[in-house]
Amino acid sequence: MPAVGRIKIRMPHTISRGQVVPVDVLVTHPMETGLRKTKDGKVIPAYFINGVDIFYGGDRITHCDWTIAVSANPFMTFYLKADKAAPLRIVYKDNKGGVYQETVQINPR
Amino acid sequence: MEQKGKDLALSRRAFLKTGGAACAMFLVAGSLPSLVKPAFGAPKEESITDVLRRQFGGKQVSQSHVDIKAPIIAENGAVVPITIVSDLPMRSDDYVKRINVYAEGNAEPFVAGIDLTPANGKAEFALRIKMRKTANVRVVLETSKGKLYGAARSVKVTIGGCGG
Repeated sequence: MPAVGRIKIRMPHTISRGQVVPVDVLVTHPMETGLRKTKDGKVIPAYFINGVDIFYGGDRITHCDWTIAVSANPFMTFYLKADKAAPLRIVYKDNKGGVYQETVQINPR
Repeated sequence: MEQKGKDLALSRRAFLKTGGAACAMFLVAGSLPSLVKPAFGAPKEESITDVLRRQFGGKQVSQSHVDIKAPIIAENGAVVPITIVSDLPMRSDDYVKRINVYAEGNAEPFVAGIDLTPANGKAEFALRIKMRKTANVRVVLETSKGKLYGAARSVKVTIGGCGG
């Protein structure tokens, strides 16, 4: 199984100040629903990301409440108005207390 | 005897009308459990209308300003890419505060809620969701002024994605 909580961020290479840019983020996570069973009938316990926080500089710009119905290895695209040079930090939290985060520096020209 | 029967009929009616409040009457009266049973059946899956009523209290949802981009046919219900786009403004005094995503065919229709701020610059969000069966994907946007906008789009699922 691949490592849980590995985060990949993709965004435009050069950003001009004030531009609204898409940010693609992928995180590896099984997103187990708790509804599936193994072949011998045992329930696989739920294990999923239920919260995502996105910070730009000091502000939380986006928050997501997720459920088991978000696909495994969640991929999302959100938009960001790049009006300052600041770090963009993405934090995922799962129902077993796991916290996974990644930061990229935004340097608009 | 006849009188008792009448009371029962009345309290049954009251029970149906007022739900929980009338339960106590039944318990005190110790009357026919078979009458009570149907109301306490197995927990039902919540329908989309129930969920929307619970979350928005029956408030009117305007079916405009929201577009859902989703495949017409999803080959795999475990990964259905959807994009929610809205032309609503993202000004500091008037912006899309939250995007709620539902898959109507799922046992728990609520899929995700996304809180946005004006710093997003654009009311657009994409993610991949699981769908148990062919159903509508429904989106309800809440603006900072308390208005609700929505849209729905049918997605045909050929392989379900919620396990089991």
